Amino acid sequence: MFKNLITESTAKSPWLFHINSGSCNGCDIELVAVLTPRYDAERFGFKLAGSPRHADIVVVSGPLTQQSLPRTLRAISQVPEPRCIVTIGSCPQSGNVFKGSYSVMAPLSKYVHVDVAVAGCTPKPEAIMDGLVQATEILKEKRKAWLEAKKNGLKDGPKAETEQEVPAAEDVPASGEEVQQ
Amino acid sequence: MDFPFVREAVKNLFSRSSCDMYPLKPSEAAEQYRGRIEYDPSKCINCHFCERVCAGGAISVVEVPVEEGTQITRTFDLSTCTFCNTCADFCNTHAIKLTKDYHMIGLKEGDLLVSGTFVKVAKKKPAPPPAEAKPEEKAAPAIKPRDDGKPVQDPSKCVYCGICAKKCLGEALTVDRKEKLWKLDEDKCVSCGTCEEVCPKKAIIM
Ligand code: SF4
Ligand code: SF4
Ligand code: SF4
Ligand code: SF4
Repeated sequence: MFKNLITESTAKSPWLFHINSGSCNGCDIELVAVLTPRYDAERFGFKLAGSPRHADIVVVSGPLTQQSLPRTLRAISQVPEPRCIVTIGSCPQSGNVFKGSYSVMAPLSKYVHVDVAVAGCTPKPEAIMDGLVQATEILKEKRKAWLEAKKNGLKDGPKAETEQEVPAAEDVPASGEEVQQ
Repeated sequence: MDFPFVREAVKNLFSRSSCDMYPLKPSEAAEQYRGRIEYDPSKCINCHFCERVCAGGAISVVEVPVEEGTQITRTFDLSTCTFCNTCADFCNTHAIKLTKDYHMIGLKEGDLLVSGTFVKVAKKKPAPPPAEAKPEEKAAPAIKPRDDGKPVQDPSKCVYCGICAKKCLGEALTVDRKEKLWKLDEDKCVSCGTCEEVCPKKAIIM
């Protein structure tokens, strides 16, 4: 019963962990704007978590530079399942204008399953908020599936087909040779 | 004891919230905001200028030959776009517009992740009939615009600088300064109007 209470409450307070993977700071500033009183995402329970282990939603901005990619993936893998990955801006989805650079490893979807992609450069805070609200919906679904799986004795939860393992940081190619224009 | 914040706290308790209440109250983007791209294929003449100027390489074209000509599908990938408006600025026929719509969210891989991206419309281009419509040779002394929308040169004004030939995207123009030659390859020309625009002497009429 106590567990149910916890699950129900966590559904209403999805905490965010923000990873800047080499962003120009445009998207980061807009994400901060989402948390200010004017947009007030805390109405929905969103709150920036200091540690990936406390988070439910990972927000990634930036084009995944070569230096930041292993760290980004490590941080993502530390977020407990069920988690939801949101990309903001064009950068993590495609590399934006930086794609083709030797040090840009975008898109993020090459390495992990991205649940919500907010387009824009930068997206408006309203658009980010839309994306985050969508993410909570997805999170709810995922939680349900997890509870179901736990009941059936699957400790590691359901593995949806779309769900990719987060590659270990060492397995990630060290240079941009993989990146094609 | 002094509590300097008490007054503030009490005041704020009764003052209006500064929140915009966004999802409940829809909010409109600012004037001139550059959001979702709108592409009007009926206006497009397939001059490929937009792809050339796009910094992010967000525009792709698929050309399929069909019975009545070529079917051209131009795709704007919103997840690659930086919303710089350059394509819209350069489009001579105003076929591209960046609207104020900022709701661009992709949820699923495949079609819906492409909805963070965005696909628009195929254009059916008629088979090149203008090739037939060339009875009017350019050497007419009184310069009048051709009825197929292709450029005509006014030899009395032209200084054979070659700027139009350099700017022509279809490489349809040949200009030779020594020979005083201005030649148009009708099959390559798509009537984009670039030459007319760049001509410093206003020697091209369309
Ligand atoms: S999407 Fe645009 S604003 Fe966001 S990090 Fe990339 S370049 Fe900067
Ligand atoms: S610049 Fe305009 S007219 Fe030319 S191909 Fe692009 S959309 Fe079409
Ligand atoms: S707005 Fe800029 S980046 Fe986007 S499609 Fe047009 S030229 Fe390319
Ligand atoms: S000749 Fe002029 S109108 Fe024709 S394609 Fe070249 S620039 Fe465009």
